[in-house]
Amino acid sequence: MTECLLCHRDNLRQPTLWQLLNFRPVENSPLCQTCLNGFKAIPADQSCTGCGRLWPDRLCSDCVRWQGLAEFKNRALYQYNDLLKQFMSQYKFYGDYRLRTVFQTQFCQVIKQFNVDLVIPIPINQATERQRGFNQVAGFLEQLKTTDGLKTLALDKLQPQSAKNRQQRLQTKQPFTLNLGREKFNKKRVLIVDDIYTTGRTIRHAAKLLLDAGASEVRGLTLAHG
Amino acid sequence: MQATQLFGRQLLADTMPNVSEWQSKLLRRPAMTLTAQWAICQRCGQRTVKQTVRLPRNNYYCPHCFQLGRVTSDQWLWSLPEPNQFARQSGSPLSWTGQLTPAQTACSQEISEIFAAGKTHLLWAVTGVGKTEMLFTGIEQALMKGLRVGIASPRVDVCLELAPRLQVAFVSIPQIVLYGEMPGSYDYRQLTICTTHQLLRFYHAFDVLVIDEVDAFPFAADPGLAYAAEQAKKPTGALLYLTATPSKELQRQERQQKISVSYLPARYHGYPLPEVRLKLTSKWRRSLRKKQLPGAVKRTLKQIVTNKKRFLIFVPHVKDLAILETSLIQSFSALKLATVHASDPERHAKVQRMRDGELDCLVTTTILERGVTFANIDVIVLGADDGVFSTAALVQIAGRAGRKAAYPTGLVQFFAESQTRPIKEARRQIRFVNRKAQREGLLGVHDHD
Repeated sequence: MTECLLCHRDNLRQPTLWQLLNFRPVENSPLCQTCLNGFKAIPADQSCTGCGRLWPDRLCSDCVRWQGLAEFKNRALYQYNDLLKQFMSQYKFYGDYRLRTVFQTQFCQVIKQFNVDLVIPIPINQATERQRGFNQVAGFLEQLKTTDGLKTLALDKLQPQSAKNRQQRLQTKQPFTLNLGREKFNKKRVLIVDDIYTTGRTIRHAAKLLLDAGASEVRGLTLAHG
Repeated sequence: MQATQLFGRQLLADTMPNVSEWQSKLLRRPAMTLTAQWAICQRCGQRTVKQTVRLPRNNYYCPHCFQLGRVTSDQWLWSLPEPNQFARQSGSPLSWTGQLTPAQTACSQEISEIFAAGKTHLLWAVTGVGKTEMLFTGIEQALMKGLRVGIASPRVDVCLELAPRLQVAFVSIPQIVLYGEMPGSYDYRQLTICTTHQLLRFYHAFDVLVIDEVDAFPFAADPGLAYAAEQAKKPTGALLYLTATPSKELQRQERQQKISVSYLPARYHGYPLPEVRLKLTSKWRRSLRKKQLPGAVKRTLKQIVTNKKRFLIFVPHVKDLAILETSLIQSFSALKLATVHASDPERHAKVQRMRDGELDCLVTTTILERGVTFANIDVIVLGADDGVFSTAALVQIAGRAGRKAAYPTGLVQFFAESQTRPIKEARRQIRFVNRKAQREGLLGVHDHD
């Protein structure tokens, strides 16, 4: 197959002769170079230390408002632009599980730098998981050792976050509970991983739960900020 | 759920739908079949290597047709056999009173026979021949017998253009138009007009199914849609393909006599298709970047402008539009022109202005290759050797010229850096149908009506 999974154009990069001859595994992206260049990375040194958005200053205006949970730091890999929206829609809402591999290598590299004890993907509720057939965040982290440290309280979601406005999102109650005993988190450095950081409500709920359980440090990593 | 919603449809679900008194008639098929290596989708018929589409719960999904709701191997396709629950027609439902030419009548006759016999057939009719009108008699007879009729096209704009014409021709027959982002919801009607993608939702529904423009994207490129067409009709149903530019595959099936073909090689006005003139022009993009038109292009355009003709210029890519526009304005300042591409918000307005004669020139990409008619125009293709111009696209583009009886001729000029296979093939196809028309005595019967 040489067709890009996102734009369906026939322009995937073919392995070079050098790659074929040096007998190392060839990393082939299922997306073409044009699409990959369309994803706009957020450089770590030009982002808000609170939420990870592209921001020249240290803390963005949103995060100043979040000061109640000042400890929490999130890093976002990409801006949530139209192309990434299209990607997420095909991956998550249409359920094209093949797309999980696109950012896997990058997640591996970044998470290695974080140097944490536990990597916890944000869980999705059972009904969604049954219908979608996969947890989109766990898909990104397929090649890493992760801990299912959290689970959702509700079996079914009445309204997805994406259907709410900012005020409604911020008023969302704690949706998670611990999935393992508290001792598992005691004095541990934890990294929570989610797909999109919007208001920060979801990931901060998760962070609070883990800090209360005794984690020494909780940080966040999301694919995108938007 | 209303039982009518399932007549001849296939609904994807993991639980049994409730259709009250029709419950015993419900048909259930697994949505995918699995072999040792393949996962084969039962909706679009395409197979995928199992490993690439495995989900964590050890089931599989189809990566080809997920746009219409993802098919997974643990689901079922539910349907109710088509019962043809339509009001009986006492008189003829056809309210169209136009006249067909003798050649059209012969074709129309043939189509009616195909419909009645439930055969698969290809109608190769050149561009601008009045294909829709030739279907009317066949459709009329089918509707009177209480048969379910479907007309599908790969292109939404063709569907939207076809629907009102059919509504006018068959006033008393309820119809529904189905496409991806349609405003309403599905309804059970005797006459269905839809995009070919929507056929994936039907199962053994149509007694008569017509697929228009089989050579157009995406139908030609997507084997799942051909499968959908086969599956959307009843096993005994008729399937008619319409095209102006049959693919190699269809031509092969004809030679192997797997499919019957009828030809209509001449337009109703009895003039041959304008033949393509080709001029080799090197490095046209470089000239354009210098805001100049290549010499040969400029000479041709000058000729067209002195003749007071209006014209279309096709370019391979959207990014070529702007640079060509600047060079055109540079050389022909008095020219009223506009550029149009697929995602242009003013697309329809600009096409309408061209139709109304407010514009002299429309610079465009392949989106205007089919389905539009302008009177008295010349056609130019710049960079005809580019990969986006397939044989079918080039024949269609050439077919924009000379469509009206009042102006049955026109210049078709290609500029290319080299002669490519699609260019050769397109010129060959046009010459072939013109020769065929000549042999059958269809040319020179100029009737202006």
